[in-house]
Amino acid sequence: MPLDEPILLKNIPTPPWADFADRKTLSYDDYVQAGGYASLEKAIGMEPGEIVNEIKAAELRGRGGAGFPAGMKWSFLPPQDGGQRFLAINCDESEPATFKDQVLVEYDPHLIIEGIVICMIACQLDTAYFYIRGEYHHHRDIFEAAIRQAYDKGVLGENARTGKVNERWPNLYLQRGAGAYICGEETALLESLEGKRGWPRIKPPFPAVSGAFGRPTIINNVETLATVVPVLMKGADWFKSHGKGRPEGTPPNVPVSFGTKLMGISGPVRRPGVYEEHLGVTLQTLVEDHCRGMIPGKQFKAAFHGGISMGVLATHEFEAEMDFDIGKKYNNLGLGTACATIIPHDVSMVAMARNCARFYSHESCGQCTPCREGGNWLYKMLTRIEAGDGTMKDLDLLLEIASSMGSMPGTTICGLADGANWAVRTIVNKFWDEFEDAVSKERFVSLAQIGA
Amino acid sequence: MAWITKQSGTMKIERRDEPYLTEAIKQDFRDSMFPRYPDKQACTIPLLHAIQDLHNWLPYQAIEEAAAFLGLPASTVLDTATFYEEFFLEPRGKYTIWVCQSVSCEIMGNTKLVDKLSDKLGIGPHETTEDGKFTLMNVECIGACGGAPCALVNHKLHENLTEDNVEEIIEGLD
Ligand SMILES: Cc1cc2nc3c(=O)[nH]c(=O)nc-3n(C[C@H](O)[C@H](O)[C@H](O)COP(=O)(O)O)c2cc1C
Ligand code: SF4
Ligand code: FES
Repeated sequence: MPLDEPILLKNIPTPPWADFADRKTLSYDDYVQAGGYASLEKAIGMEPGEIVNEIKAAELRGRGGAGFPAGMKWSFLPPQDGGQRFLAINCDESEPATFKDQVLVEYDPHLIIEGIVICMIACQLDTAYFYIRGEYHHHRDIFEAAIRQAYDKGVLGENARTGKVNERWPNLYLQRGAGAYICGEETALLESLEGKRGWPRIKPPFPAVSGAFGRPTIINNVETLATVVPVLMKGADWFKSHGKGRPEGTPPNVPVSFGTKLMGISGPVRRPGVYEEHLGVTLQTLVEDHCRGMIPGKQFKAAFHGGISMGVLATHEFEAEMDFDIGKKYNNLGLGTACATIIPHDVSMVAMARNCARFYSHESCGQCTPCREGGNWLYKMLTRIEAGDGTMKDLDLLLEIASSMGSMPGTTICGLADGANWAVRTIVNKFWDEFEDAVSKERFVSLAQIGA
Repeated sequence: MAWITKQSGTMKIERRDEPYLTEAIKQDFRDSMFPRYPDKQACTIPLLHAIQDLHNWLPYQAIEEAAAFLGLPASTVLDTATFYEEFFLEPRGKYTIWVCQSVSCEIMGNTKLVDKLSDKLGIGPHETTEDGKFTLMNVECIGACGGAPCALVNHKLHENLTEDNVEEIIEGLD
């Protein structure tokens, strides 16, 4: 059943309820008039632990890519010890095909600020840094202005309506990134915040114990924190009446797909954009109903359904349900950012694989050999295959190199290399025929190679 | 490519008397930036941005000045500066054109844009025109995939680009 009313996009005109063209930025007053900051009032009247329990009960999973349960993350913090505790909000949004968080920042910045302050109270974090990617210039200006309004209206700063948080007045600062995909990885983000290269850290220690400046730190995605606002207002049960729910037979301790999710659709569709739907909506519904179908003359061939790092859905997987089980069911890395790029019939999958490999070889931070060298190697091979100079042996080698890189095979520090692994491997496996057609079928045995 | 380090060991640094790091920036950082963080090193990226916003690039002298102001070795600040794609350690054009080359933009035809721009400006990616007006950059996803193909010209985003309208945009800049 389609979503009957928008939740996160309540104040942001979106089809089918309204028109993209009517979108405009809500000021503090607009937001309050629309019922905003009521959830914060409620949070102020609650014990911090109660807020955490409500988010836990709602089984809200992170919206930044990994889907880690937010309430559980919040409860990993050690007890307060008098020192500072931080929140880092991840608005790096650099995963190719992903453009969802920027909609919230541009049009409803106070929804995000409200979620941030609720999290600060719940976790007793006194200082928050909003890490926004360098390329979001316009968004940065809007969010800076919203922060200023929030200070003026007593949401933040000295004498804030929250009272002291972790024995200090709550502060929120914007931090401007400088063009590096890897800074979206949570520990790289912290390094960057500290003024260093964005080099991911080896975990443990986890940021909740030792994060920014060596202090306890929570890192959440923008959309995750925005979702906290309606969840706290209307309660866990209400939230859990949305989304796919718990599939029969799934034990209660296994995280599932509750709630709605922002889903950005791009590529050759008639109305690309960021929509909101139940987790579990099919990709086909998003394309055919929300986006009004493909551009005339274009047919669906494949999709990067959650950013390129999750891999692709094949042509016959168009009806895949967009929920946290998509990885298990359709042999990819997972839901990721739930932002899908549609690949039409006339775009070559070899070109797509080459594009992905170039991305990872360019964005690797260089700390781990399999990622730094492997990414580059994949890129070179795919460029060669695309030019028609590949051989069958190259295809086996591609799969072998790809599957050896990543934190899941245990060869790298962070998940960037897993993204390269899954992107390249799922494209090659699911579109083997296209690759086979692109390479020379002859299997040469070089006499020089066997030493004859 | 963050992991390709640049040769700087035997480099000659051009110097000028007037500092790049102005008193106004310093004052602003003392008043409103230092109190935000537990230590001064955390101001590195904001400070580099402030200097680059003023001069359009980061001369080595400016990096040394930033380091001295933050109480850090110059090599530490250089290490950070060389990691990030947005920091230019060489002079660049008045307008930097950042053309997205990631998947959505490639699917929607970005190669035509790059060819058109290269043709028109007579430069390849990561090059600057002789008159110092334009620098062309091929970059990864800029988070505007719904409007693919797209590009940033300095701080302004242009979406749904075609060979024609990209030409108009370039011609409209003085
Ligand atoms: C290479 C890499 C890039 C990432 N980029 C982002 C990003 O741009 N935005 C984001 O929210 N999370 C990103 N993540 C996930 C974060 O590490 C982290 O899991 C997330 O911000 C946690 O927030 P959440 O639990 O609210 O989703 C990235 C992870 C990896 C490995
Ligand atoms: S996996 Fe790649 S990006 Fe991640 S830490 Fe290693 S080299 Fe850096
Ligand atoms: S792929 Fe070009 S803006 Fe995202």
